Amino acid sequence: MRHARRAGVLGAPILLVEPETVPLVTRDAVRARVPTAIVAVGGPAAVGEITLGPDRERLAGVLPGVLWLGFILSGLLALGRTFLVEREHDCWEGLLLAPGDKSAVYLGKLAGNLALMAVVETLVLALFVVFFDIDLARAFPGLVVVVALGTLGLAAVGTLFAAMTAHVRAREVLFPVLLLPVQVPVLLAAVKATEALLAGEPLGAVAHWVKLLAAADVVYLAVGVLTFDAILEG
Amino acid sequence: MVRTLGWLSAAALALGLVMAFGVAPREVSQGNVQRIMYVHPPLAWVAYLAFGVVAAASIAYLVRRAPGADRLAHASAEVGVLFTGLAIATGSIWGKPTWGTWWTWDARLTSVAILFVMYLGYLLLRGTVEDRERAARYCAVLGIVAALDMPLVHFSVYWWRTLHQPPSLMKPGGFTGSAAILWPLLVNLAAFTVLYAYLVAKRVRLLRAEAEALA
Amino acid sequence: MPDNWGFVTAAYGLTALVLGLYWRRLVRREKELDHAREARSRTARAAAGAATVAERSRQPSRSGHPRSEPASRPPLP
Repeated sequence: MRHARRAGVLGAPILLVEPETVPLVTRDAVRARVPTAIVAVGGPAAVGEITLGPDRERLAGVLPGVLWLGFILSGLLALGRTFLVEREHDCWEGLLLAPGDKSAVYLGKLAGNLALMAVVETLVLALFVVFFDIDLARAFPGLVVVVALGTLGLAAVGTLFAAMTAHVRAREVLFPVLLLPVQVPVLLAAVKATEALLAGEPLGAVAHWVKLLAAADVVYLAVGVLTFDAILEG
Repeated sequence: MVRTLGWLSAAALALGLVMAFGVAPREVSQGNVQRIMYVHPPLAWVAYLAFGVVAAASIAYLVRRAPGADRLAHASAEVGVLFTGLAIATGSIWGKPTWGTWWTWDARLTSVAILFVMYLGYLLLRGTVEDRERAARYCAVLGIVAALDMPLVHFSVYWWRTLHQPPSLMKPGGFTGSAAILWPLLVNLAAFTVLYAYLVAKRVRLLRAEAEALA
Repeated sequence: MPDNWGFVTAAYGLTALVLGLYWRRLVRREKELDHAREARSRTARAAAGAATVAERSRQPSRSGHPRSEPASRPPLP
């Protein structure tokens, strides 16, 4: 209570709380006051995440990377298993014998992967919004574009490489080793664009990243469609 | 033919070495450590050249299915990964006394590191796919994807590193254009290119012999 | 600025070492395969040599001496 006099001088209210806890209701009430400063007596360790300043910025800096890390980890799992069904149930020859252009198989598998990843990404994003209290209102349309383009890039190459590694015993190791270096442009572009969008910038500000994502998607799709015949030859 | 290449590369490398230490002057700001510029950029240049050859040979293989094209791709990847690794190592050795650090994630270094990992992936795929014809096809596709990806890697990494950020530290080898520095560099560039051609030719011949031995 | 000759030697030396070792590996493997190929062709030639002896005995004798029928002759040891 030695600081009470100081509080009186500053005209500030004093809040007494249990060590290491601040009730949510109280926290919201404090925030609603929009305080210019909060003086924690007893040290910051007694207060924890109540501080609104630098921690939030640190979080905002790390968030896009962590988000896309979540996307790519789930992507690695999902994409790597694209042809597992055919492999396990001896249907690989069935794929080879399918009439017509084999690129239809590629596009079909790709569509399936995209649907799967869309579901996972929506879930992850929802969890992020809830746990980190992110305001998506302004960023949402731009975010949808960036996530869609990035996911298409991941899935386009991932489906192709999954077919190539389906037969290999060390598939679980080889698939990420092949995919991740190739995906560096997509990941960099997606993370930087997401960062800007979450910081409140319009989509136009990250036009160069969006164009890179689009170009990458076109290249990967073209190669996938053109070369899948060669993959499914034997 | 291969033997001529061998003698030619030996001669060119010898000449390059003499020029790097005899003709090239002691550089003003960096001192003699700048002489690493006569090996590092040539190694890096060949690293990219080898990758281009892998891509071209891969396309040729997918189009015409000539086993020679596949052997060229394989050999170029093997020699290429060596040159890339050496480029990174010599760059790092050069960086320590001049930049003060063994490594930094600036645009060019990051690109070369990614190139290196892509090479490794290619060779890994080669090694793990058991059927040789299938390995040839799969590696051809990988070679094409990786090569088309490199420009995208360059742009993305460059923008990542330089947008809203000042350009990175002094580039090793920003030479003033004096002939005494230019000629040793050009000679070594050519010498390492000939060495690359010689090693690839030998490796292709070895691959053909190995294939015949197994037939 | 100090000359850092150690770094220069390291860079040049490493390059020479790695490329030299690779080249030596290629040369050795090629020699191995050459030896293996020669060994195989030698055994192939020996087998072919036995075949030509059998062929020659079926043709009419060049010197004009009469020869008994091949079937009546005792088999080669």
